[in-house]
Amino acid sequence: MTSAADYKDRQFLAVIGDEDSVTGLLLAGIGHVTDPPDSQKNFLVVDNKTETSAIEAAFESFTEKRKDIGIVLINQHIAEKIRHRIDTYTAAFPTVLEIPSKEHPYDPEKDSVLRRVRRLFGE
Amino acid sequence: MEERTIDHLLEQYLHLLHEYTSLRAELNKLQAGLYQNLARANFAAERGMRYGQDQYDDRMQASRRVVVLPSSVCPTFEVVKVDDDDDGAAVTTTEKTAQASVSKSEAVASEEGKVAQGGPNSREGEAAEGPEGGEGMKEEEAAAEPIASSVKGTEPKTSEPKAKKNSNDPLRWFGLITPMPLRQAQAQSVQAVGDIVPRLVSINAEMAQVEIEVRRARKKRAKAEAAARKSEDVASKEDVAV
Repeated sequence: MTSAADYKDRQFLAVIGDEDSVTGLLLAGIGHVTDPPDSQKNFLVVDNKTETSAIEAAFESFTEKRKDIGIVLINQHIAEKIRHRIDTYTAAFPTVLEIPSKEHPYDPEKDSVLRRVRRLFGE
Repeated sequence: MEERTIDHLLEQYLHLLHEYTSLRAELNKLQAGLYQNLARANFAAERGMRYGQDQYDDRMQASRRVVVLPSSVCPTFEVVKVDDDDDGAAVTTTEKTAQASVSKSEAVASEEGKVAQGGPNSREGEAAEGPEGGEGMKEEEAAAEPIASSVKGTEPKTSEPKAKKNSNDPLRWFGLITPMPLRQAQAQSVQAVGDIVPRLVSINAEMAQVEIEVRRARKKRAKAEAAARKSEDVASKEDVAV
């Protein structure tokens, strides 16, 4: 069972996605930059040049280092690049949700929740 | 007995799975619409202009935030609209109010769009706007107000906090007058973030909880079966000995 201290300050959504996904989600008003000198952003725009290590570092920052993130949204095709990290992530807070992107529609085969369902039913 | 418990848990789990898949379908639909609207906005934009990270405001503050509601079984997530009051402290409002204000601003913006159909406003508009974003728009609204208020000289006082609220709108990063597809994309994004995403993650947490309970019940059943088999073996050995 999680304690109130685990989620009391977790008030932001974080996004790891391609430019259109991040722009779309920031339009809803979830973008946040912390006060200087840190000025930490709660989003990462991933393009063809972004290295997997940078994605992994952002995921680690949002899920482990920062204590103010409640939900991490990540494009499914980007989650595929760090699948080992996503599948081994079991903490309740922040929770991770894979979302479709413009060029990569949602694939149920890759969804970590549906993989868990299959595991439960012994497939 | 254990069998019945497991069946009941699995039934509950399948209901959650059904809800999860239908929410997923809804999210996919909203996301697809969002990308389409963004593409339309980019297509109609001025040459070289793209609605993307180059225009993000580096001082952005979240106006939609997560609230985790503690529950006896597993936590529930909610995304609420937050307004900064005069002291800079965050004040939460309900999502319904937030959506109403969004649709209101859309209506105002669509009227503006009809006047200026010539595509997105460039950075010039934003530069002219200055730090008190949305001032120009508010001036128009203030002009529509009864003359009595301006006679009293209270107009500047009443319009100031409104202008402050408007500056928090991410649409303003892209100019004062933004194209209709971009505003539609914003509405879809607000619906996805405010309604679908929190429900999806809450159901995900609930499913994880039920999975744990199912595994526990299965383990218990396996232990009970093993114990029953052992006692049967002992009984049969005793029979043979007799």
